[in-house]
Amino acid sequence: MAGLAGLGAALGALGRYGTTRWLQKVSGNWPVATLLINWVGCALLGLLTGWQIAHLWLVLLGTGVLGGFTTYSTFSHEVVMLLDQRRFAAAAGYLSLCIGGGLLLAAGGLWLGWQLT
Amino acid sequence: MANVFSIMIFAFIGGSGRYLLGQAIPVTTGFPWMTLCINLAGSGGLAWLSHAKRLTATWPTALTVGLGVGGCGAFTTFSTFGVETVRLVVAHQWGIAATYVVVTLLGGVLCSAVGVGIARRWGTFRLEEQ
Repeated sequence: MAGLAGLGAALGALGRYGTTRWLQKVSGNWPVATLLINWVGCALLGLLTGWQIAHLWLVLLGTGVLGGFTTYSTFSHEVVMLLDQRRFAAAAGYLSLCIGGGLLLAAGGLWLGWQLT
Repeated sequence: MANVFSIMIFAFIGGSGRYLLGQAIPVTTGFPWMTLCINLAGSGGLAWLSHAKRLTATWPTALTVGLGVGGCGAFTTFSTFGVETVRLVVAHQWGIAATYVVVTLLGGVLCSAVGVGIARRWGTFRLEEQ
């Protein structure tokens, strides 16, 4: 099971690396990539959890792929870097958008998952 | 290509490590402190790694990228944090949900700042940071 989670996380992290590199060209110095990745991951994990898929799939796709795709360490590091550059409004905006949007999307995903069961 | 393989190897370790920690010490109190500890430890680690240039300058790039993007990135998770919080809210555990969000946010920023601070104090080339 741990190997399944690890395999999923490897794929998820690779998806995050690709997405970040692709979005960096258009997003300038705003951490848009991590924001979108965490939003998408929250919505999909909510959906999978609410849908009550088999435990095996939840470990592979939820703990593995989505857990590895989304990231908290990069998020908090980006907030600290914005604070370090004295871009306080940007830091507050990024933090609120990521948390607020993430929680709303997770709730939406869970609700949709419940409707599907 | 070396970066890609390195990210996959370290993400495998990070992701399976996160799963194993969750299995080894299951949360029974209602407060998801395992995810909290994982996210705080990973935040500190990534921040330190990103700024400890004096050390990482002697490492292959693939190792630094793999450890950061793969290891710390996949060890920590935002989606589990979000879904856990929503489930606490749905269960009307308002106090626990609010505490979880605040401690994760402030703790994450604090651990990141400490990681950056330690690396800047002892791990960078002095001239480069100036």
